[in-house]
Parts: sequence; structure tokens; C-alpha cells
Amino acid sequence: MLAPITYIQPLTTLRRTRQLPVEGLITVSLGDRLRGTDVIARTGLHKQHIMLDAARALGAPASRVSKLIQRVVGEEVEEGAILAGSRGLASRQLRAPAAGKIAAISEGQILLQISDASAQVQARVPGLVIDIDPGQSVTLECICAWVQCLWGNDLVGEGNLHMVADGPQHQLTADQIDMSLRGAILVAGHCSQRQALELAGQVPIRGLILGSLATRLLPVAEKMEYPIAVLEGFGKIPFNGDAFKLLSMHNGAATTLNAQANNPHSGERPEIIIPLTDAGHPPQPVEIQSFRIGQTVRVLSGKYKGQLGEIIELRGNVIYESQLRGPAAELTLAGGGRGRVPLANLELLG
Amino acid sequence: MSEGRPQSSNSLVAIDLGSVNTRAQFFDAVEGRYRFIAAGEAATTAGAPTFDTNHGVLQALAQLQEITGRQLLNERGLLLAPDAEGNAGANALTATFSAGPPLRVITVGLLEGVSLHSVNNLVDSFHCEIVDSLSLGDRRSPEQVIDAISQNLPDLVVLAGGTHRGASLSVVRLANYLALALKLLPESARPPILFVGNENLQSEIDTLLAPITKVYKAANIRPSLDQENLGPAEAAMSSLLYEVQAKKLGGLHLLNQLSETRLSHSAQAFGRTVRFLSTVIDAPKGMLGVDLGASTTTVASAFAGELEVRSFPGLGMGRGLTGMLAETQLQQITRWLSYDIPDEFVLDYLYNKPLLPATLPSTPHELAIEMAAARQVVRLAIGKSLPMFPANAIYPLTGTVPWFDRILVAGSTLTRHPRPEHSLLAVLDAVQPVGVVTVILDQNNLASSLGAAAAVDPVLAVQVLESNAFMNLGTVIVPVGSPRPGSTVLRVQLVRDGQKEEVVEIPEGGITVLPLAPGKAADLFVQPLQNMNIGLGAGRGGWIRRMVGGTFGLIFDTRGRPIQMPTSFNKRQELLQTWEHALTGGG
Repeated sequence: MLAPITYIQPLTTLRRTRQLPVEGLITVSLGDRLRGTDVIARTGLHKQHIMLDAARALGAPASRVSKLIQRVVGEEVEEGAILAGSRGLASRQLRAPAAGKIAAISEGQILLQISDASAQVQARVPGLVIDIDPGQSVTLECICAWVQCLWGNDLVGEGNLHMVADGPQHQLTADQIDMSLRGAILVAGHCSQRQALELAGQVPIRGLILGSLATRLLPVAEKMEYPIAVLEGFGKIPFNGDAFKLLSMHNGAATTLNAQANNPHSGERPEIIIPLTDAGHPPQPVEIQSFRIGQTVRVLSGKYKGQLGEIIELRGNVIYESQLRGPAAELTLAGGGRGRVPLANLELLG
Repeated sequence: MSEGRPQSSNSLVAIDLGSVNTRAQFFDAVEGRYRFIAAGEAATTAGAPTFDTNHGVLQALAQLQEITGRQLLNERGLLLAPDAEGNAGANALTATFSAGPPLRVITVGLLEGVSLHSVNNLVDSFHCEIVDSLSLGDRRSPEQVIDAISQNLPDLVVLAGGTHRGASLSVVRLANYLALALKLLPESARPPILFVGNENLQSEIDTLLAPITKVYKAANIRPSLDQENLGPAEAAMSSLLYEVQAKKLGGLHLLNQLSETRLSHSAQAFGRTVRFLSTVIDAPKGMLGVDLGASTTTVASAFAGELEVRSFPGLGMGRGLTGMLAETQLQQITRWLSYDIPDEFVLDYLYNKPLLPATLPSTPHELAIEMAAARQVVRLAIGKSLPMFPANAIYPLTGTVPWFDRILVAGSTLTRHPRPEHSLLAVLDAVQPVGVVTVILDQNNLASSLGAAAAVDPVLAVQVLESNAFMNLGTVIVPVGSPRPGSTVLRVQLVRDGQKEEVVEIPEGGITVLPLAPGKAADLFVQPLQNMNIGLGAGRGGWIRRMVGGTFGLIFDTRGRPIQMPTSFNKRQELLQTWEHALTGGG
């Protein structure tokens, strides 16, 4: 069976293709070096329009009115400019109520675009632009240390990594947060204190990486205006040792926290990217693996949840403690002892 | 029993591409009748890292090959044609799918209660999310509507309106809004339009919209104010659903090429099985089907072959738990727990599961939480489906589901439970049926596949449905009314092999079982007391002929509707255990 993988990579080449939601204008060039918060494109979404009924304004039937419209799609107009009009003594005119651009004309109706609040698409990943599909996508490459997370509040931020946690069992409290942390991306263990999240927003910090988050704080974390990413999940789960060690090694390093929402369809997950210079050109991560004896895995659910272990045996069809049946792995657990875990509840650490 | 033998001893492989798991199922003729032989299962690979559903399909087939010892794949990974001895390959392959995000659909109709209602009914029966609806009664300004249409980035727009020879100008006006909105989108992002309105307007709609995007047409879904005709539109929707998803899901196109019939969505295939069952096993009161998936729950009902399907993409036991949690108080879940599990643990489990939908409950507590959550997911889906049940069905009690003869239950959370009494209780607690109903468990997850297979070989579908591939949990008699607590509500007498047995008094407020071995038939005389109603009218009783025993015999559920649970944990635990013991005969 293909194993789900969470990547905790000390050194890798990360490639990301940022697809625009709709065709848009790419604003970066090949070879540009970007930060995660840089804008790579603008799309036409979120523009505002006014619809003007030329037929009604001119008192003309829809079949005739197209001849009376004096503008074409794409034309810029000033406020008060004549858009359509009839000639003669009793002539009527339709004027633009605001400055804008003619967005569309159909059946005697004119759609005037009055704002250009185009949607911006962020890079989310720092790195070098290595490919551009005009209007469609930008591909970035980054040599970095890379840690994938499980949940994110869909924001992105950049700052220097700051280890607040003194170990995987750390708990974040408000008294650990002060103005000296302004602009930093904090690494903390478990958070069950609403005040800590709110205070971090007031400082403000640039991001928060948590081992786990109390479930009842999920709505609070969703509303925070700085990026929050959770590695292990909801409830009190210790930070996994490998990720903790890696982040500790990079304490103080410039980091991008891409806390994008977990999207199973696109494969996008929240992630921590620590760009590394002078690190050569390491290989890209291996994406497809099956479970094998000797692999290090993390337990995703059940009584060993959050623990790391090594597979010592794979078994075809066993009865779990819940009495359900299915394939399982025997593990030696990093914390000591052995355990049998359904394969469905394991992931590889890549 | 269905007549006939397999027409040509055809073997069939059915692939069901779920949002979490992909199953490969093998059917073949054994001693002149079709049987379900075995299934292989693998993780669905629609998402990262492969983005190719065929990886999962091949893995499931490889497992099926290993289980059956029958070669189904060659070195290139392709399904083999059957050999001369019939020991390798298969004659046909069918496939259903529920993987992939739901289609984002904008529905447009003239009047909210008429054509828009019908078009919403149409779309709700598919794996779709209605992201916006527009009608003449819309209070937004035209530009707001246009901006909303273009910003929602729909996958599909379904436009209805105008009865036969009815309104035309207003429909064209709405179509014009669509034209303006779609012109704002780049060509590559413009959704196709399905027009299911006044047929006289088809050419005008084509003239207006075809230069902008692809326009598909089907017969008017509302030919008159009091007539709804969804059939042709459903066929067009089914086709469009596949077209759109095939662009998003790698491998779907190839699977479709291998399949005997056009790939159908699991919800529609499940519905076909429910309809099929309602016709082949004489279910005059109707048939209900509930398929509890990881991302989507499907509710289907069929009365005399008239099928209604509702698909709820936001409700399920994996990613779909998020939808359930958004409209649920925790107590609505924990009331079904017989373990004293801290609320925080329950919440943690239920909020982590959507992020890790493939994980399995590995402890008894986790399994109990899933079964409790399953009750609530199904309860919500049933509640949302109440308007689709026909008004002329039998309703012994208002506000409940109508009287169904049978309930078909699918979805691995309910069907894989090691103790079927838990599955039965979950179904009774969630659906809260009334009348006399037989509960059938799709223990091998075959219902959707058989819906697709029926199009290739109806005999196969009938014979497998009649086989023991499905588990008859038992027939449940549910009286409703206002009895005195603890009093007798029914007097019943079983006649087995022509022998009358003792009259049994059934008390209010619990579950009582009369043993009747699986497959054994008996007649039952039921006399309701205190004006209770078992579906024959208040206080009316009578013979229920040829009741067939299931795993738990005949079950009398006198817990009332809706079922009220005590707030005290100890009392609740006692009650839940009592009901469980009533089914298993435990003390």
C-alpha cells in the first residue's frame, strides 16, 4: 500500500507550481528570486461592476439599441462620458455614472467595471522562478529545510524562527510572549490558552508553529491575522522529535511559514520552509513509497498517537483493539516499548 | 427468487473509486447463479502525490488477484480478457466514482418555488455544491448577481425556467445576466451551461450563450407548473458530472474507456440499486437507502420504482465530519456513547479525523465515537431529506420518515463494525424508522457497484442482491403514539410452521426481540394497544404475513419517536447497554 508521507527534510530541493485560480497576469519574470509573501500574479476576480440598461435609458427596443452604443468592450471611460445615445431633437443619452472600463456588452446592456481590485496571488514559497506558463502558473525552486504540517489557517508569513519551546512537551502560555518576539515566527509545543494566541497577534508576531492546538481554540486560530500552522493535530500531542530537532537547529533563521489550508485534492499542505544558501543542489523529495520494514513512521491515531516508531513487522490481516480487522505494523516505539498499529494509522516521515 | 441463469456466465469486475478507498470487486457465476466472490481494497490515489486514480485501481486489482488467485492483470497492468477456460480475466468491467471535490454549481430558475426548486432538486441529487442560486425574485442588484456569478468560479451553471409555451422574455433576461457574467471570466474558466427550461427557447439560448461557452440542453424539467420531469436532465447532469470530474481526476478517463458503461457517480449508482430493490423485492411502502461515505452521505428513496436521491457532499465520516460538526452540538453526539469519554477527547478525535480521513478507529473508545458521530451524520442527512419523500407515502407520525419496507445501509463505518448489533442500533437511532421495516446491511460495500452492473447484466444484480452478500439484520416493528410509560403497547403472536405460539406483550420504552432464524419465515399477528400505530392506522392491528428472520430475528422498537435520551450519563449508559443486550440476548 502507498504510504502517506509527511516530509521533515533537513535539506531538499523544493519545487512548487503555483497555479492561478483563473487566467491572469503574471507579474514576475524567469530568474526572479522571490519571498513567500511576494505577489506573483493578478487575476480579474473581485472586480466590481455596474450594469447599465442602454435600451431602457434610451427608450429603444433591445434589437435596435446595439447600434446606439458608442463604446466597445475594453474601452476606458471617464465619469459622465457618453456610452450610448440617439440622435435627433428628442435625443437621449446614457452616461457613465463613474469612471471605469467597458467590461461587457450584451443585449442592450453594458457592464461597466468600476474598480480594479484584482485578486493577488502570492508565491507562498520563497525561491527562484524557474518556469512560467503565461497567464496560468509560476514554478519556483527553493533549496531549503522543509517541514510539512497538518493544519493551517491559510495565511503566509515570513520572519526569523524563534524557539519558544524548550522541548517537545512544551506548552505555550501568554507569559512567554513579549515585545521582543515582534516580527518572529515562533515555534511552540501545545497551545490551550486563548490569551496566548491573542497576545501573539497584538505583539505582533509573523507566524506561529505549534506542535498541537486545543480543539476548542480552532475558531480562534482561524481568525488570527498571522499565520498559524499545527504539525501534529488537535488535542494535546507532543511535537514530533525529528521536526523539533530540525527547527531547533535553525533557531534564528529566516523562514517562510506557508500556513495554507490542507487541500487533499490539490495535495497542498501547510509547511515551514527555511531557505538554505550554499547548500548545493540536493535531490527533490521522494514522493511515492510503500511501507517497508525498517522505516520510521509516525502514528496518526489511537493510543500511540503522535509517537514515532520503526516498523519491525508488517502483518496482513489482524484484529485491532477496536475489533476491526485490517493490515497492521508492529513498531518499536521511539519512546520505548512495542506497539501494533493499523497501517491506515501510520505515515512515513520523509 | 429471480428466475433464470446467468445469460452467458459472464464474470465482472466492478471498481468503486471512493474518496478514501478504491475497491475492486469480482462477480462470477457459481453453480449457475451469480455470486460476489471477493474484493480488493487500496487507498484512493486521486490526490498527492500521484494525482492518478489508476494507481489505486491497480493496487486494488492486484489485491483482488491475490485473494482470488485469478489473473486479472498482465505485465502492462491492464485487465485481461477472459481465457478460454474462464480462469483468468473478466468479461466486463464497470466503475463508479465518488472521489474528487463536488461540482460547484450555480442554479438559475425563474421562480424560487417552481423552476428554481426543480433545478435545485436536480442538482442536489448529484455530487454537487450549489454555490449560488438566482431567480427573478433575487433581491440583489443585477451587477451584484453578475459579480457573484463570475467570482464563484462555478464548474457548471444549470438554467431552467418557463413552462412549455410559457414565459420566455424573463428566461432570456436571466440568460443575459449569465452571458454578461461569463464574459468577465477568461474563456478557459467559463463553465458549461445546462439549459433545462422552456424548450421553445433552446435556439435563442444557443444564440446568446453558445458563443461564450458550451451549452448543453435537455428537456424542460418543469413542463407545467405542477409537473416535474427530471429524467432527461438527470441523464445530462450525469454526463456533465463525469466530463467535469474527468478533467480534475487523473485516470478517470482511462477507467471510463475500460468500463462497459459510462462511469457513473456512486450516488446515482447507489440510487439505481435502491430503485431496483424497490421493484424486485416487492416493497409497496417504499425503500430507503443510506450510504454513509467518508466525504458524502447519500440518501435515496424509491416508491414503486420512483427514485429520489439526495447527495450531501458536506456530510460524511472523513472530511465530511467538518460539515456535521458545523451544525451539531457535542451533546447530540455524546448522547449515543456508552463509555464515559471526556468531551475533549471526543472533540479532538472528531476534529482530527477530517485531516486524516483514512485513519481507522483502533481502540473501543474511538470506534464508539465514530458510531456516535455516524448516527448524527445520518440523522442530519435524513432530516435534510424529509422534503424529498413523497407526500402520499404513509406517515404514522408527522415529522418522521415515512413507512419504508426496507432500509439498505451502506458505508464502511456502519458495515464494517465487528458487532452487527451496533450497526443495527446505529441505523435505528439515526433513521428512527416507523412502521414495519427490514434493515439490510451492505456488508461488502456492493450497492453502488451493483447499480452500475445492473446496466450491463440485470440478472447479475438481482442474483447478487438475493444472495447472502447482503446481511438482513432483521425486521423491526416500530409502533408510535402516546403510551403510558412502562405499559404494554403491543400484543403479538407468532405463527411458525403453522403453529401458533404464545401471545407476547411488548412493553413501551425499549427494544424487545422475538427469535426468528435468518431466512425462516413466520406470520405475525400484531394488536396495538393504547391507540398505538404500527402504520396500519391508530389502534389498528392485523397479520403481517411471511416475515423473514434476520440476524436479530424480529425486533420491536418501542422507544418512541423521536428517541429521548436521559441527560445523566449513568442512566444513558444503562439504557444503551440494555438495548444492546436486548439484541444479543446478553444480561
